[in-house]
Amino acid sequence: MSTASDRLLVQQIRQGDERAWEHLIARYEGRLFAFIHRRIKDQAACEDIVQDSFVGFYTSLPNYDDRRDLQTYLFTIASHKITDYLRRTGRHPLQQTADEGGELFLHKLAEQTAASSVARGQERRELESTAIARALTNLLDTWRKQGDYQRLKVLELLFVKGWHNKDVAKFLDISEQQVANIRFAAVKKLGELVRADGLPADVFPELHV
Amino acid sequence: MTTPRELLESYLDDALGESETARLEQELRRDEELRRRLLAVMGERDRGEHTVGAIWRRHRLSCPSREQLGSFLLNVLDAGLRDYVDFHLRTIACAYCLANLADLQAQQQADAAVIQQRQQRVFQSSAGLLRKR
Repeated sequence: MSTASDRLLVQQIRQGDERAWEHLIARYEGRLFAFIHRRIKDQAACEDIVQDSFVGFYTSLPNYDDRRDLQTYLFTIASHKITDYLRRTGRHPLQQTADEGGELFLHKLAEQTAASSVARGQERRELESTAIARALTNLLDTWRKQGDYQRLKVLELLFVKGWHNKDVAKFLDISEQQVANIRFAAVKKLGELVRADGLPADVFPELHV
Repeated sequence: MTTPRELLESYLDDALGESETARLEQELRRDEELRRRLLAVMGERDRGEHTVGAIWRRHRLSCPSREQLGSFLLNVLDAGLRDYVDFHLRTIACAYCLANLADLQAQQQADAAVIQQRQQRVFQSSAGLLRKR
């Protein structure tokens, strides 16, 4: 979710306020530069892509829903610009694959986050996404308030990194049974929260107890 | 260890850190089966399927705030949170938080004038867009 300050900036930019535009650049240029520099080491190219990203943001302003987190939105635009740049300069690693896959990958990469005509419907997907995000926020906030970062680490490694129980246990130096217990309790709780939101939890295989 | 599906999902979201991206792209170049798996994941995403991990990343549910990252740099977080932030940066290698951290470090270390000049160049080359309205 965007901060009130970001929403105000966007509102002022929509009204053509150059000072607000300058503030937006001062606020986000550095982190965008660092995000792009992770993939592209050429300083001048990075600066060009940062600039393209801001121009891209400005161009997309009529379609930007300012309830969306502004930083994440800018990173998404930058990510597209990185792919475009690597593709244009023939430096995308997947372009170098010998099989027919290279171009197909790139084509699909370019359209991955574009508006999609998904089979299950964008609206349904948004509902599921919101329900899961709300349930997870609820769970993670409880753990954070208790200072229980161990559970948070376990769940993040399982869900975000996709590690197996045994790898999580080894890495965190706890037993596999402890990992399994944390997973079981979290999945049960998430399932309850998602169902309380009126959605079936079985849309996500990860939430099968 | 087989490349986890979530790693491929993160790659498609451009949410991996620098070294993980490089390692995965190297694997993709030489492993046709992995490229097929990546294509399959793309197909599933096209059909609107999503994972808990992808939603977690997209909503940045466990990302520390920028203020917390600043406090991490200054080493003034309490031990539990500091350890978690370190884990999020090093092990999860969250690209968004790493970018924020690098930016904060640059602000601390680099010549502020250099950053300001860079931002001025972006502003001067794009402010005309607002005047054309």
